[in-house]
Order: sequence, then structure tokens, then C-alpha cells
Amino acid sequence: MSKIKDHVEDLFKSIPDSEEKQLIKQEILENLEEKVADLITQGKEEEDAINKAIVDLGDIGEIEKELGVKQPGHPEKKRKTKLLDLAFSVWGSALIIALFVFINFYYTPDVIWFVYPTFAVLWWPLAMYYRWLRLK
Amino acid sequence: MIRSDIIRGHLESIILRLIIEKDRYGYEISKEISLRTNNRFQIKEATLYAVFQRLEKKELIASYIGDISHGGRRKYYTITTLGKAYLKETRKEWQETKEIIDLFMEGLE
Repeated sequence: MSKIKDHVEDLFKSIPDSEEKQLIKQEILENLEEKVADLITQGKEEEDAINKAIVDLGDIGEIEKELGVKQPGHPEKKRKTKLLDLAFSVWGSALIIALFVFINFYYTPDVIWFVYPTFAVLWWPLAMYYRWLRLK
Repeated sequence: MIRSDIIRGHLESIILRLIIEKDRYGYEISKEISLRTNNRFQIKEATLYAVFQRLEKKELIASYIGDISHGGRRKYYTITTLGKAYLKETRKEWQETKEIIDLFMEGLE
């Protein structure tokens, strides 16, 4: 029976490790063992039975496709990145606005104009906030 | 053995049909397919498990671990309400497809 196990291990070698993979591997192995036992009771030699089971197993490519595609873009990670974007935009815009306020009051204290660029800059964190909200 | 690429597109329906009768596990399904087709069609295990994955992802079937059977615990599959509806739909579709193809394949010498 260890020949089957080796073969299955070998087939799954190229697929990245995951809990799903372990489960499928386990399932396939159990079912193959049952198949071999079945074939033996039908009168096949153990060697033949194992070989037939392995041939019948077929190409692993399809399972690989089902398991492999959805690796990138983990949702949890994506949300963290967006939160980081939001934090960055808040800090960045606050600093820019502070700079405008400083220039305004330092050089032209008689005219209040810093409000205009402040409105322009606020679009940045606002956009980031809603982008983050949408993912939540 | 029959060319399998035509059957391939209907594997989901075949498997759903077998599971709708009762909950079954992997090897049982492949055995049942061979049995019912009199060995004219045999499903490759790798294909079978790929289809399970797909069906489960689409929530057409669900799985659970059954009773202990010599050494291991079998993974059984059961059909969901969504799966039943899907099977009904594909059945209708197949009836229609069959009629259309028959229009051209029947009556040939």
C-alpha cells in the first residue's frame, strides 16, 4: 500500500501546501486504498491492482487548477493595505494643510486663504476613506 | 471507451444526479458511474475530485465526515438546495440540447 501513498505524494508535490490540499490528498488516498482492496477481492494480484488504481487516477492538473488559482489577493491582507493607505492619506493631508496654515499666517496674516487649498487636499483622505469602507 | 470530452461538460450533472439519490463518497461515485454505464465510461479519480472542488465552491454540494470505515473516515457528499435547483435546470437544458442534436443526427444512413 505504501506505493500508492508515494505516488499520491509525488503527484501533489508541485501544489503549494494548504489545508485544502491535505484534505484532498487524504481523501484520494483513502478512496484509492479502498479501490485496491476491491480489485484484490475481484481476483487481481496486489501489484496489478495498485497499478490499475494509479493509472485510473489520471492527471492531477485539474485538481491543481481548482486549488491553485485563488492564491493572490487574500481579503484580510487587502483590507490591511487599504487601511494603511487611509492612515497615510490622513497624515499626509494633515501635514500639507499645516504647511499652508503656517505659510498663510506667517507671511500674509491679513488674508485668510489657506481654506482653499485645504478643501482641495481633503479629497485625498476622503477618497481613501470610502475605498476602505467599501472593502469592509 | 467513449470519447470523454463530450461527457466532460456534463460531469457536474452526472455527479449531482448520483448524490441527489443519496449521500455518497468519492470511490462509491466512481464505482457507480462505471457500473451504470457498464464500464463504457470510467471517470478518472483526479477529474472526480476536481469536480467535487468546483461543486463545493459553487455551493451545489456540501461534505461531511462519515462513520469510521476500516482505518479511515470517509468524506461524504450531500446535495444542497441550490444543487437540486441547478440539476433541474441542467436537465431541462440537456433535453433541449438532445433534441437539437437529434434533428441532425437522426435518420442518417
